[in-house]
Amino acid sequence: MMLTLASDLKSYMPIALICLMAIGFGVANVVLSQLFGPRRQGKNKGQTYESGMNPIGTARKRFNVRFYLIAMVFLVFDVEVVFLYPWAVTFPNLAVRSDEGLLWLFRILFFLLTTVVAFLYGYRKGVFKFD
Amino acid sequence: MNVTTLTTLAQANFPEAMSQITLAHYLVISTAMFTIGLVGFLTRRNLIIMFLCTELMFQAAGIAMIAFGRYHLDLSGQSFVVFVLTVAAAEAAMALALVVLLFRRKESLSAEEWKDLQG
Amino acid sequence: MTDRLAFLWPEIALFVTTCIVMIVGLSKSLAVRKSTGVIAGVGVLVALYLAAVSTPHTSGPAVCPLTGIHFAPQLTASMGQVLLPDMVPFTKCLIAAVGFMLLLVLAGTVDRNEEAQIASGKRVYDPLRANRAEFYAFYLFSLTGLMLTASADDLIWLFLALELTSLPTYIMVAMSTSRNQSREAGVKYFFLGALGAAIFLYGFALIYGGTGETKLNDIAAVIHAQGINSLTMVGAILAIFGFAFKIAAVPMHFYTADVYQGSASQVSAFLAFVPKTAGFIAILLLCATLGWAYNPGEGAGGSIGFTAVVTQVEGATRLPEPVRLLLWVMAAMTMTIGNIFAILQTSVKRTLAYSSIAHSGYMLVGVIAGPFNGDSSNAFTNNGVSAVLFYLLSYGVMNLGAFAALAMIERTAKADGEVREIDHFDDLRGLCKVHPIAGWTLVISSLSLLGLPPLLGFFGKLPLFTSGIAAGEIVLVVILGINSAIAAFYYLRMAFLPLTDTRDATIEQTTEAPFVGRKLAGLLSAGGVIVLAIAASAVIDQVKQAGTVQTWNPTRAIKPAPAPHGHDHAALELSPESVAAAGGVTSGAAKDER
Repeated sequence: MMLTLASDLKSYMPIALICLMAIGFGVANVVLSQLFGPRRQGKNKGQTYESGMNPIGTARKRFNVRFYLIAMVFLVFDVEVVFLYPWAVTFPNLAVRSDEGLLWLFRILFFLLTTVVAFLYGYRKGVFKFD
Repeated sequence: MNVTTLTTLAQANFPEAMSQITLAHYLVISTAMFTIGLVGFLTRRNLIIMFLCTELMFQAAGIAMIAFGRYHLDLSGQSFVVFVLTVAAAEAAMALALVVLLFRRKESLSAEEWKDLQG
Repeated sequence: MTDRLAFLWPEIALFVTTCIVMIVGLSKSLAVRKSTGVIAGVGVLVALYLAAVSTPHTSGPAVCPLTGIHFAPQLTASMGQVLLPDMVPFTKCLIAAVGFMLLLVLAGTVDRNEEAQIASGKRVYDPLRANRAEFYAFYLFSLTGLMLTASADDLIWLFLALELTSLPTYIMVAMSTSRNQSREAGVKYFFLGALGAAIFLYGFALIYGGTGETKLNDIAAVIHAQGINSLTMVGAILAIFGFAFKIAAVPMHFYTADVYQGSASQVSAFLAFVPKTAGFIAILLLCATLGWAYNPGEGAGGSIGFTAVVTQVEGATRLPEPVRLLLWVMAAMTMTIGNIFAILQTSVKRTLAYSSIAHSGYMLVGVIAGPFNGDSSNAFTNNGVSAVLFYLLSYGVMNLGAFAALAMIERTAKADGEVREIDHFDDLRGLCKVHPIAGWTLVISSLSLLGLPPLLGFFGKLPLFTSGIAAGEIVLVVILGINSAIAAFYYLRMAFLPLTDTRDATIEQTTEAPFVGRKLAGLLSAGGVIVLAIAASAVIDQVKQAGTVQTWNPTRAIKPAPAPHGHDHAALELSPESVAAAGGVTSGAAKDER
């Protein structure tokens, strides 16, 4: 019982190894830079972007609603793809059966058409305008 | 294709350790998630946390469905979950929109802040 | 598989209309923006026509009353659920008809100030701020979902349809007025709605786990062959708790008063009909799946992998005892709590909200009574399902009148010049004299909601009583009677304040809202209450058919439906492949677990 368990767990070895390496890399970087990194304090050093532009205003600024809308459009396409995967996997099998295949093609095309409607709506709403 | 062949096919490449996890394990997880979600929804007062709790309950149902689908060797459980995920995404979009709307008015995410409506 | 399309023409019409409205409504031209309401109305009327003529039912190809074309095909099992087959055409016509009246009320809800500002040149048109078309689109989406609920034959389908019904309503509530209360109501409604959805989704998952099927026909077949195991039972109970949110039944009723008060009156009218109808259709489908749709006969023993068999399905018409008990307690609590709280309110909308809870309780009596009780000569009066469907129709029509009357009147506040709606009982005093249309609509609707004999509400409530008595639920019927008497207290107040009192000088002036649609809807509703009461027998014929649960023998044999309830429709054709194997797959799969 325990033996079979142990031998099975062996197949997870590479994953465990990768996890260990990832954790080790992160920890090592933090620890090593703490140990050996030079420390200097100063006004410039304390800025948000050390060699970039000076930050203006508060960080708790209101964002343009467009960002939210873009996220929404992304969500539409993102979820759409989830439905395309099972269809794409089964379609080769269905396509062999002549008349059924065409039907399934039209179904997914209709489904995609609904996305076009969503896209058109977003376009007219002005989601893709940046000015 | 009869059931036995399906069973063997489905289990052909499974490590032995995995096959010792039975339906009951999945159901325990899913029930626990559902209960945590329900209790969290009823006790917490932060709107975002409350929404996360309902999501937790949705995903608990998803886990149960996939486990049952595997148990019955039936794919409708998995296809159900795809649709559940879609609905969950739609709800998330709506929840965030509503919560942002509220936050702009009161600068707070607490459900306690909102009691204009009382009879 | 393509047969399924036969059910879907009304939904397709609505969906296409939604797409058009959504895109056209963002036009720069005010005339085009205004036309979206008309487009939506045409879409709903087309859906009504399609629902009437194209939906398959058991009595064979129907003839279109207008054109004489044979349109609706004969129902076969491959088209959808065969448990309550004739419910579909009736409910879809009901949904489209009441939906059209709701559209009349809803017209002009959003964007009023914005459009005025654009017209006066104070603001330029910005598509990001134009909400009018979206509001109609949400309305149409919700109606589509409701129709899809009616034609559901699968748990996945049912879940998606219920979500499509309710998700748009959350936004409709939040955007219905510019007050803070609407936002609060929207968020409350959304969060409790998401909770309800999660609960019935988990119930669906357990039903699927217990039976291994998602098709309602197949679930019914498995339950018939093997009895109800514990998983299915728990799943069914959870699902009913989830549906209780949709119908605003105890213990999921808390949101109702707040949400109805917070949203605009016309949106409250929408909430009182659409989610409630969806919930009741879902409950009827679930109950038909659990235990109505069988021939009387021996329930085979055994289980499918789970050892504890809780309940055998006994005989034909009984719901499993735990489910019946749950519904019983729910019905009694719902009507009592709804009515008692309704008395205590000073706000008209809150009163109507609590009364809406009470009405859900009344309808649950019909669900408990179930389909065939007693002998076949009284097929309508003894059939609880018909009673529920008929009550949905009458409640939809008369409740709309009450909310439409409130939506007709508004008041411009002296302090900030903002337009508010009337909500207090004092505002109702002398309404018949000041605003006759609104006043009389309110009087007729409240008397009908009370169930006064010559009006529609009475004919709606009567079958609930008779079916309850026929099913032997005497105690519940007594509770129903007592509650109807309690309800008289606040309905009579609502009816007599506009009729008899005179308006106080202290009450701020009210004006009529500048929307003809609302008056039209109010008149239609008040007229419907009277006309439908006179023409009740014609409707009852339809409802009788709609409430018939098909008895079918789920052993895959093509068998004519025996008629213990005295109907002579054509037998359901159950094709062998459509009613899936009850035992084969699932019991084999039990080996999978070790």
